[in-house]
Amino acid sequence: MSPLPGIAPMSVPPAAFLAAGTILFVIGLIGALLKRNALSIFLSIELMMNAVNLLFLTWGRMRGDASSHVIVFFVIAIAAAEAAVGLAVFVALFRARQTIEVDRVNLLKW
Amino acid sequence: MTGDLLLFAFSAGLAIAFALAMVVQKTPVRSVLALVVTFFGMAVLAVMLAAPFIAAIIVIVYAGAILVLFLFVIMLLNLNEEAREKETRPVQRALGLVAALALGGLLLGVTLRAPAPPVGTPSAGPRIPLLDEIPVIGRLLFSDYLFAFEAVAVLLLAAAVGALILSKRRMD
Repeated sequence: MSPLPGIAPMSVPPAAFLAAGTILFVIGLIGALLKRNALSIFLSIELMMNAVNLLFLTWGRMRGDASSHVIVFFVIAIAAAEAAVGLAVFVALFRARQTIEVDRVNLLKW
Repeated sequence: MTGDLLLFAFSAGLAIAFALAMVVQKTPVRSVLALVVTFFGMAVLAVMLAAPFIAAIIVIVYAGAILVLFLFVIMLLNLNEEAREKETRPVQRALGLVAALALGGLLLGVTLRAPAPPVGTPSAGPRIPLLDEIPVIGRLLFSDYLFAFEAVAVLLLAAAVGALILSKRRMD
């Protein structure tokens, strides 16, 4: 995997960036699956988003395409909006149930 | 060359180590602080990918705004320790871990084996300049991506209003 002709070569092989981004994504996925505190799950999702951003930047760099930066910019903007709403939901949930442990928020489960 | 490799190994290792610390950590505050270090490592990686502007917004927006918001909420809700009374469903947790690791192996195999972008079809969009990318991004934002840009502006406003309404004490 080498950059296209006409694009400045990368001093570190892009596969290394892809591997790092994938590993970070999987760590975030493990956190999102195993954590029980809703806030920690949310935190893991933020890590997953940022890992995907890293993969996006790597592929954009390989293609030499500046659109990847714009899309990562949008992802970050939407992550900010999502964090604001999600944390407000947690505050409202805590007011109603005095907990944000996902195991104990099971009103809709059965 | 080797300097770049060393920098990559250091920042990627830092990011991965602190991401693991974030998952292992039981106290939410420590998780957030570990994630701050991870994001700094990822910002360094973004600089190495010729994206200094993205690196700056990772530090300013992610580490500076979003994670501080997390800290505020943790303090507000007074979440000290993840309640560890008993393991409610150990089998599901083990299965989740196995599934995540399997998916990770699959993704790693696929991303590493993915072919390079097809030679001869360079992207239509503007090229990434290696030093001064902000004018290029700005021009793209206000030409090709203008609609998305305005939509994000409305979305952020809606999110701010929604967060305000959701966290109000009484609905009436």
